[in-house]
Formats: sequence, C-alpha cells, structure tokens
Amino acid sequence: MSTVRHAVIAAAGLGTRMGRGRPKCLETIRSRTIIDRQMDLLAAIEDVRIVVGFQEHSVMEHVRRIRSDVIFVRNSSFRSTTTLQSFWMGVQGLAEPCLIMDADIIFEPTSFQEFLNDCQDGRSRIAITPSRTDDAVFVKTTGTAEELMVTGFCREHPETHEWANLAYLRPEQFANVPSYVYEHLDDQLPLQASVIESYEVDTPNDLARVEQALSRW
Amino acid sequence: MRVAYGFDLDGTVTEEEILPRIASVLGLDREMEVLTDLTLNGAIAFEDSFRLRCHILMSVPLSQVRSIVEDVALSKPIAEFIRSHHQQSFIISGNLDYWIRPLLDDLGCGSFTSTGVVEGDRLVGIEHVLVKSEAVAQLRKHFEKVVVIGESVNDIPMFEAADVGVAYGGVHDPVENLVQVADYLTYNPKALCRLLGTL
Repeated sequence: MSTVRHAVIAAAGLGTRMGRGRPKCLETIRSRTIIDRQMDLLAAIEDVRIVVGFQEHSVMEHVRRIRSDVIFVRNSSFRSTTTLQSFWMGVQGLAEPCLIMDADIIFEPTSFQEFLNDCQDGRSRIAITPSRTDDAVFVKTTGTAEELMVTGFCREHPETHEWANLAYLRPEQFANVPSYVYEHLDDQLPLQASVIESYEVDTPNDLARVEQALSRW
Repeated sequence: MRVAYGFDLDGTVTEEEILPRIASVLGLDREMEVLTDLTLNGAIAFEDSFRLRCHILMSVPLSQVRSIVEDVALSKPIAEFIRSHHQQSFIISGNLDYWIRPLLDDLGCGSFTSTGVVEGDRLVGIEHVLVKSEAVAQLRKHFEKVVVIGESVNDIPMFEAADVGVAYGGVHDPVENLVQVADYLTYNPKALCRLLGTL
C-alpha cells in the first residue's frame, strides 16, 4: 500500500475554445473556480505542482491565496507545446508515481477520493468517465468493474466511457514529444482503469453541463 | 548526478534584506532607499549602486556592521537544507564577504561573494563586485548540474547561466524579469526545499 504523494496539474493552456480570454482553471462555476475545487481534492497530497503558462501570474496569484506551498512549474513555450509536454515538465525529478490531471476538469469529490484509494496498489491507472463532452476521447475497455483495463483510445467511434484527463503514472511514462496524452499512453496499453464522475470544461456547452451536475452533487 | 545548489542570500535565505537592515540600525535608511529605488528603476547599474551603498557604510566600524548582520534572521527550513547539504550548497551573494561572514559561518557552506578591502576595523575599499554568473561557471567545474535560487535583478545572470532556476517569493515577490527566466517559482520555504530535493 502506498499513498499518493505527488500531483501535477497542467494549467498552461490557452483555453481558446471557451473564448473568454482567461485560463480555464480560473473559470468560476457556481461561485468557485475549477482550480479551487481541485485544490480541495488535493488537500491531503503533500507535493502539488502546477504547470503554468498562459496568464501565469493570474493563476499563481489565485492559487497561492488558497495554498501557499504549491510549486509552480513554468512552461514558457505553452503556445507551442502540448499538455503531455507540460506533464513531462511537471514530473521532472520525481522518482515516484504521480497523479496527473488537467486544470479544466470538475471531479465529483467522492469518486475522486475512490480513485486515490485505487491508486494505493501502486499500479499505473487511468481514470475514465461516462461519455458526455463535446470533443470526447473515447476509451475501449475490457474486464470487470473490479479489474477494468483500457485497451484503446479513439475519437471517431463513440464508446460508453471517455478519457477523464486524470491518471496515476510513473514519471518515465511521460515524454517531451508534441503528442496528446492519450496518444502517448496508447503505446503503453493495456492500463488499469477506474471509473470516476468528472466533467471537462472545454466549451460553453460543457460549462452548462457541469453547472447542472454541480447542482445535483 | 552531482548537483550544486546556489542560493542568493538577501531575501532568499535571509528573511530580510541585509543592507537595508544595516542602514536602518545606523539611521541611514533614507540614503539607502534612494539608491535602491534608483537601482530598481534602472537609473543606475547594480554594480554602481552597490559601490555607492558600500561607501555609505564605510564610515561604520566593521565589527558594528557584523553585529547587526548576526541578528538577521535566516529562513529555518532553508538554512536547515543548506546545513544538511553543505558540501553541495553555496551562497552566491553580491554582498561583501566581511559583512556577511557571520551568516556564512552559521550556514557552514561554501560561498561566492563580493570582496572588500579592510584595514583594521574599517572597510576601505571594494576589491571585486561579484557577477553571479561567474559563480555558476566555477561550480560547473565540479558539478554536473547547477540549480540556483533567487529573487532579485542581480540573480538574473546566474539564472541564465545555470541548468535550473528557481524563483523564490517567500520574503517578497521575485522581480518579474527574473520570473521570466525561471523554471520554477514557489512562495514557501518548505515547498522550495521539497522541490530542491527532487532536482
């Protein structure tokens, strides 16, 4: 049994599809920003690193008011790099597995905690969630609910679940290459999977969906 | 891999700036402030400003300056990190060796500093004003990787020369031009030490 000690949040992106001219993690939904909610979920994790780029000072100013001991990793090439490259920068120097997550996701707290519990077996693990976003990356799975494995990713053919942009991986599973995270992980499949409840906020439609969900939680 | 950690002293390892502290105790705050403002505004170069600030303090016995410096508080977690990594930690400070000696002795690590000329109990001149990239070049001869930590304008040359630069905002916010050449930024001494332990 091991507890999750490191978390890296990728918050460097431009958030162009939201069209609001500010980092998506600072989007306020039902009076709290996405990053506020994520920091709540990571409260028990000792080492939290946030990769910043677009409007880095806005993100850092906001986060340091919530939690002073965050380590900010600067991705000054954020306009020309991918989220995978941000994660690669974030995990540099780490010797243990690390939780990685996008900064534009709202996670349902109970299922997030269950994911952390699942990670205690120390194995690499991908979070998947029921398909719902406008621009989903679908996952092919096999096995039972107790031993679910991801065997493939695809964008064209809808599946019941999509990639939740949350995973527990070893540092060497990342690379400084301009691919999507799921494309890079494709070569490492099959990987253990856990189902969680999460909402990605990429478009105004996604935002409306998450507002509805939050009113139910 | 052999890693060297190069720490700025003022406002990074110390919890307050040393020269303003000395000036304040001696009632020379106003003179020092004017020079600091002119430096930060870019009106005079750092080296000229430093020489002028030293000249203001030359009238004071060295022993008196040192007794003031002895009371400058160190960040406990950072000082602890330096002591426990003393063979690979170095203070890289533009301050004069004679003034900051009590803090260097307390930390027990190597150092690169500006150097003064002393006669008896008086500073009578400045021998060399440290350009911090020189220190990084020296460290490269003995270490495979150089990590530097700082917060001010005069740390920029060492950030540009080092492998990894960590801008530190535990005492006050790091200057923007430094942030722009930094790889990491943190505002908390424990987080800084945690990060350094992984670099």
